[in-house]
Amino acid sequence: MLAKCATRTLANVYGGLRAIATSSVQRSDNLFVHRDTPEDNPNIPFEFTAENKKRVEAILSIYPEGHKRGAMIPLLDLAQRQYGWLPISAMHKVAEILDLPNMRVYEVATFYTMFMRKPTGKYHIQVCTTTPCWLRGSDEILETCKKQLGIGVGDTTKDKKFTISEVECLGACVNAPMVAVNDDYYEDLTAKDMQDILSDLKADKISPPGPRNGRFASEPAGNATSLTEEPKGPGFGLQAGL
Amino acid sequence: MSILRQVMCRTAPSSMQICVRYASNQDVAPLDLNTALARPEEVEQRNKLSGKITVPVDVNLSPISGVPEEHVRDRRVRIHIPPKNAMQSGTDNLSKWQIEFDNRERWENPLMGWASTGDPLSNMNVQFGSKDEAITYCERNGWRWFVDGDDKPKKERVKNYGVNFSWNKRTRVSTK
Amino acid sequence: MIRAPLVKALGALSSPTHQIQIGSRAVRTTAVIAQQAPAKAPEKIEVFVDDIPVQVLPGTTVLQAAAQIGVEIPRFCYHERLAVAGNCRMCLVEVEKSPKPVAACAMPVMKGWRIKTNSDLTRKAREGVMEFLLMNHPLDCPICDQGGECDLQDQAMAFGSDRSRFTDINYTGKRAVEDKDIGPLVKTIMTRCIHCTRCVRFASEIAGVDDLGTTGRGNDMQIGTYVEKLFLTELSGNVIDLCPVGALTNKPYSFVARPWEIRKVSSIDVLDAVGSNIVVSTRTNEVLRILPRENEDVNEEWLADKSRFACDGLKRQRLVAPMVRMPNGELQAVEWEGALIAVAKALKKANGQVAGVSGQLADVESLVALKDLVNRLEGETLVTEQGFIKGAGSDVRANYLLNSTIAGLEEADAVLLVGTNPRYEAPLVNTRLRKAYVHNELQIASIGPKIDLSYQHENLGADASLIKDVCSGTHAFSKVLEGAKKPAIIIGADLLERPDGAAIHATILDYCQKLKKKDWNPFNVLQNNAAQVGALDVGYQAGVEAVIKAQPKVLFLLNADAGKLTREQLPKDCFIVYIGSHGDNGASIADAVLPGAAYTEKQAIYVNTEGRPQQTLTAVSPPGMAREDWKILRAISEVVSTPLPYDTLDELRSRLEDLGPHLTRLGELEPASLSEAGSQATISKSINGGPIDVKQKELRDYFMTDAVSRASPTMAKCISAVNKQQRQNEQAKQSVAI
Repeated sequence: MLAKCATRTLANVYGGLRAIATSSVQRSDNLFVHRDTPEDNPNIPFEFTAENKKRVEAILSIYPEGHKRGAMIPLLDLAQRQYGWLPISAMHKVAEILDLPNMRVYEVATFYTMFMRKPTGKYHIQVCTTTPCWLRGSDEILETCKKQLGIGVGDTTKDKKFTISEVECLGACVNAPMVAVNDDYYEDLTAKDMQDILSDLKADKISPPGPRNGRFASEPAGNATSLTEEPKGPGFGLQAGL
Repeated sequence: MSILRQVMCRTAPSSMQICVRYASNQDVAPLDLNTALARPEEVEQRNKLSGKITVPVDVNLSPISGVPEEHVRDRRVRIHIPPKNAMQSGTDNLSKWQIEFDNRERWENPLMGWASTGDPLSNMNVQFGSKDEAITYCERNGWRWFVDGDDKPKKERVKNYGVNFSWNKRTRVSTK
Repeated sequence: MIRAPLVKALGALSSPTHQIQIGSRAVRTTAVIAQQAPAKAPEKIEVFVDDIPVQVLPGTTVLQAAAQIGVEIPRFCYHERLAVAGNCRMCLVEVEKSPKPVAACAMPVMKGWRIKTNSDLTRKAREGVMEFLLMNHPLDCPICDQGGECDLQDQAMAFGSDRSRFTDINYTGKRAVEDKDIGPLVKTIMTRCIHCTRCVRFASEIAGVDDLGTTGRGNDMQIGTYVEKLFLTELSGNVIDLCPVGALTNKPYSFVARPWEIRKVSSIDVLDAVGSNIVVSTRTNEVLRILPRENEDVNEEWLADKSRFACDGLKRQRLVAPMVRMPNGELQAVEWEGALIAVAKALKKANGQVAGVSGQLADVESLVALKDLVNRLEGETLVTEQGFIKGAGSDVRANYLLNSTIAGLEEADAVLLVGTNPRYEAPLVNTRLRKAYVHNELQIASIGPKIDLSYQHENLGADASLIKDVCSGTHAFSKVLEGAKKPAIIIGADLLERPDGAAIHATILDYCQKLKKKDWNPFNVLQNNAAQVGALDVGYQAGVEAVIKAQPKVLFLLNADAGKLTREQLPKDCFIVYIGSHGDNGASIADAVLPGAAYTEKQAIYVNTEGRPQQTLTAVSPPGMAREDWKILRAISEVVSTPLPYDTLDELRSRLEDLGPHLTRLGELEPASLSEAGSQATISKSINGGPIDVKQKELRDYFMTDAVSRASPTMAKCISAVNKQQRQNEQAKQSVAI
């Protein structure tokens, strides 16, 4: 009796309280402090190439006086493209160019997930696993990548050629599942396609980006399934009186 | 509406006075024969007897307050407003004046390791609404006092979120 | 609202100049000047805080308007002296007709707003914010050093919910962040951090050291230095005070005491000449820590690291018993009686050949007592250890003061630093200069070695002849000074010790006659020790040369520890009496050592570099047989049977008042006028010395400058930390070179 009463009271108490629904927190797999490593330490010199120096000038010229620090993200991106990833000495270089304290650059570089602050392979395989891709079988794609390259998510192969990342939506849901390799999107993938792409990349052949199921872009596969008839002329469906 | 209310508030006391005066003009108080017929000397005598007498002598409570003579003679009282704790942002307890006695030696009690002192006044923490109240209190108790720090008006600062992003000023220092 | 003049100015000019000179030149644009021009006083607007009408200037924030009538809105990220960040959201309040609560710290009020600081919506907003903050904040208050004086604790009590809905502990738990090592002064427990970014803003705005920042984002955001680096600045301790939680705490003080078991005594710091107001926290006759006390005119609410952390030096190297040098050359502890008799015997033998040298930490009372004693013994030579210009330079007060005043420097718009490094000689004067640099477009130039002042400045060079150039108006910076509304020239006190110090002084003084404005005195000497102004005020001469010349039979060293006087310079039979608190340079050459009280152990007056007398209060009693310095001198006078005419502090203070009425007007500033000083210009103007140098160039030179800080283990740790960091940097550079 007493136990029953207690349960009811407890149920009332819990019912009255709104519980916060939680899912497991996804923490970033990146470290937000810098540790000196043989590959990444401030003693490794970084310098923009002569060609990129011209680009730096061009980027800086876009920004008005007083807002030069706006060029930080483009410059960091340029450094990343040149080096393959973003070592700390590149951040220092950018800080030097913009005449800013190093910390202000660290802040930006750590904020954006697309700045790779650890050694990254030549081909950065970014597998989208957000809902539409997942529904269309991104698990299989990811599994293929892992198996074929023999590394896990966030790892880099020993020959520094491949890095796999799991990323959130890259905005190509209509061609799900998709994978981005560096700047190229490979879409409408199957496990077989993924294998082909990876073996091409292993041979340093870059397979043509885009959909793999014969589509040109995001048009319907096969024929259109709606709006197939001729467009109706003006005045369609209006009352006769009008 | 708000202006009206404020005007009302401001004029309230004076209008009240007017009303009272007006009322007293209307219904005249009945004459008190005793006062009306009294001689001037009598009125003066009566006035003298009515009310309280103030004796202009400094009150010194120290002989009867029970504070040891040594602690009356030798102590200096500091009258001050307690400073804001730099560690906290709260300011609630910083409006009252306080008295504080000069510090005497403390030692660690060998029994428990607590702080001991031979100073009975060290824990006397009295708060006052104003500086003058504190001074009066000290004088009545026969302590020498000094006032430390005046309540200076606070400097008005213009705080502006926009200066963090101003394009031509040095206030744009951090990203926070 | 504040923006209005800017917009107007921009509107008036068809094409505003968008050019900013990069480098050490000030950013000066038409818009800024237009803002500075005295426009019509803006009309106050009326708002209602909890239905109470308040008149405020346009642009005032909601939080400030509420503060005007004493309504305190809870906050974490907002700090009066830092830029508005608006990221903690604790200050959300309801404004009538606003659909959402507004952040009071960042929102300027509009006319007629009705702000409700205690409505249901406001309370609910606060409760919600508090809930989010506590979601990732550990409940380790019992082992947290901030416990008891923690803003989060206070505000959780006052504004938080009375129960927890936190169930996440069963799933993922709270966020955990690794602790950072940012130096020997500040301990970090980063899991407790609530990301208010006060420390980041302090570092970049006030200290001018952009070492702290936020890395990562969202739940993973951390405050730190990103790279392994120590947060080394002369103001680092202030982030401890600013931190509203226990993420940044005092390392030397960690796990030492709880706020409710300590006693707080308001006092004055004497480890530099700023005279920062402090609160000394004590327990059981022991100084545990030192916190700043707010004083708008002196230190605002900051405190330099030496002043804050050198307090453990008060417990070490202390002189606890009188000592007399035995025939075998060793100092031996004796009773007071024996020591006083030994001193008296020497004084009797001296026949008036008595002199006194005062040091860095001497208070005005003991200075006066020593002066009176020496004069009664027919001695004349009374000097300070630190030199100043020769001749009658110290007769006029304006000659050795920071005449523009510390708070005044905030309004300066052109400053020339001559032979001084305010960053380490007076860190809180430097924060004022930096404040003026940031908010007032101050233009700064320096003559002296190239140093890092934490703000951009133009180094004109180290050659002394540059002073002549600037003061004759031929140098480019002269134009800046002459065109400024409030120009200031700051001379380092050490510079005036040079043989051509008098010439430098006179030249600059002459030039300042030209620069001075109504209510603005541009001539400044930045003293670097707390006793100097007091000593000069009561009539001491500067420099130990006079003592060497006088060859006294008895020499009193009052806290004189700088080691400027050696045994060899004095006659062999000279009897040296040292009165002071620490066994340092002075005590080592003395024949009689009389233990005095340190600044936390006496009620004493010190005059800061701007000439503001302030008094320390007794926080603890002097250790062992040590006594207050003036009482020792009084006792000596009794034994040599010329008793000084004061038995109590009050009587001594009235003697002070006779010497200088300003000395007892505590906390007040007696303006010293420059006009009378102009007659001095007769001194020959030959500036011929070598290049100008400053003593404290780097951070490592800052930490140990006096007897207290030299005895402090924390200061020693700071120096080794600076050296370690330096070594690492050098190694890094070498490996790059290889």
